[in-house]
Parts: sequence; structure tokens; C-alpha cells
Amino acid sequence: MRILIMSFALLLFGGTISAQSTGLEQGNKAPEIKLPTTKGDTVALSSLKGKLVLIDFWGTWCAPCIAEQAELAKLYNKYKQSTFTNGKGFEIYGVSLDAKKSNWENFITTNKINWIQVSDLKFWRSPVAKTYNIQGLPFNILMDGNGIIVAKNLHGIDLEKRIARFMSK
Amino acid sequence: MKTKFLIFLFIVIASSSFAINEFSSQGQNDPWTQQQLLDPAVLAKVLKNPNSPQPLVFSVGMQAIIKGSIDIGPTMRPDNLNILKEKLNKLPKNTQIVVYCGCCPFSRCPNIRPAMELLKNMQFTNYKLLNLPQNVKVDWIDKDYPMAE
Repeated sequence: MRILIMSFALLLFGGTISAQSTGLEQGNKAPEIKLPTTKGDTVALSSLKGKLVLIDFWGTWCAPCIAEQAELAKLYNKYKQSTFTNGKGFEIYGVSLDAKKSNWENFITTNKINWIQVSDLKFWRSPVAKTYNIQGLPFNILMDGNGIIVAKNLHGIDLEKRIARFMSK
Repeated sequence: MKTKFLIFLFIVIASSSFAINEFSSQGQNDPWTQQQLLDPAVLAKVLKNPNSPQPLVFSVGMQAIIKGSIDIGPTMRPDNLNILKEKLNKLPKNTQIVVYCGCCPFSRCPNIRPAMELLKNMQFTNYKLLNLPQNVKVDWIDKDYPMAE
């Protein structure tokens, strides 16, 4: 009887655990990403050392990701010059899981996205999807000036609150 | 006896808690039945066995990731849906067909419904939707099933 109750509890909480253990954990170093921009120049994630960075995994085919871009623009413009406890300036490193360059490029141009955008145009076959153990889009990582993961998959007001929390007093 | 009942209850609750989530494979108004969902493990086995009759596999999403599949493009776009229609026009109605997209969870995939509706309206009799309830990464790539070169 006790075993049954225990296994039932395990099953209930097991679902929660497996849903949250995806990707990498807070306190870990964010794995390096080196991918090309629409112009073909490679930008390494590590080159943003010293800044608070949001790594935004998205795709033009992902409706909730598209919906989020306007919010990201607001956050970017509001915080890009801010000083944080562990980083000077806020940057967004957008990693698109698009398959076609035209879709990706058109979206960036049309929506005047002014933060870093990179992609290998490999859709779900992109090695970064594996490295970051991405289970679905949208997905993001907030990384501090030392390249350490400080938050994972926060959106909307929760994301802004977390960014604001790192502002220097 | 009591234990048996508890085990039964446990299984019922467990299976229902798995069924009710974002990754539900079949909603009330979806243009496919539970029987039309094809388990990825089954297709993977067929693709690995050249002696087994091979279905025509159509990718109706962003990229034809699955080995041997035909790239139609996202069928949320009428021009791509038309490409699919033209291909289907040349096929006998009992052709074994499998459709997949795998961009997003079924509940918000914009491509699978137009494609499955087309097959239904054209009165095909042997077509299935590949059951990728989460996406093609989690439900295919991560399982090391056969991929296109």
C-alpha cells in the first residue's frame, strides 16, 4: 500500500521533474555558440562576455516566438545601456531555427530587429538544439557577464522582473 | 483484492494524467482519427527495412528531415497545398501515405490540418499522420530514427 502511494507520488512529481530538467541549469556555464549572421559574419556567444545576455531561440515558423519579438524589442531598448550587478549593458543573441534564409532575413528586416541574429538554417537539426537540449520553442537562457546561466525560459513580465533584479542599485 | 483495485486505479489515473497535456495527439475537431496516427517507431522500422513496402512520406513543414521524405513545404500556404494536391492527383486512392510536419506541438501546428483535410477530401483511403505530438526533434531526431542525408 505504502509502495503504491509512493510510486503514485513519484509519478506525479516525476512529470514535473522531467519537464524542468531539460536544457542546462542555473549556475552552469552557457555552452559556446558560434553561428553566422544574415550577412555571413560569425558571432560567438563568448564575444559578449561582460554583458547580461538573453539567448533567444526562435523561428519564423513558431507563432509564440513571433508574438514575443515585440516584447523583446521593448526590453532591448529599455535595458541595453543599463549597468547590472554582473555585467555592463544588455544584449540579445537571437538564434533562429529557421530552414530558409529568405524567411529569416525578411522577418528581421521587416520588423527592424536591431539585436544580434544568428542561424545555421538547419531547423530542428541544428546542433545548438541538441547542445541546449531544446524541447520546444520559444526557449531562452539569461546569461550574466561571466557567461553563467542565471535564468531559463522566462517570458513576459517574469523575464523583465528577472532582468530588473540584476540592475545595479 | 483491495491491492488489485488500487493497482488498477493507479494505472487509470497514471494513463489519464499522461493523456491530458499540451501534447495531446488528437483534438475534438481535428481532421484525423486516433487510428490514423502512426507511431514514429513503426515508421522508423519500415524505413530501416528495404524489404518492407515503403509508404510515400510527405513533409508538409519547414524541412524534409525524415529519410526518403518528399519536401512539399509548409501547407499552411495555399501554393504549397496546391503542390501537394498536384502530386496526389497522380496517385491511386489506396496509396500508402504518411504526412508529417513536426515544427510545433500538434495543438498549434499550422500545416498538418490543411494537408490531412486535403487527403480526406480527395478520398484517399490509406493515409496516416506521423505522431510527432511535441516536435520532430524530440519525437524523431532525439530517438536516432532515420534521417535524410
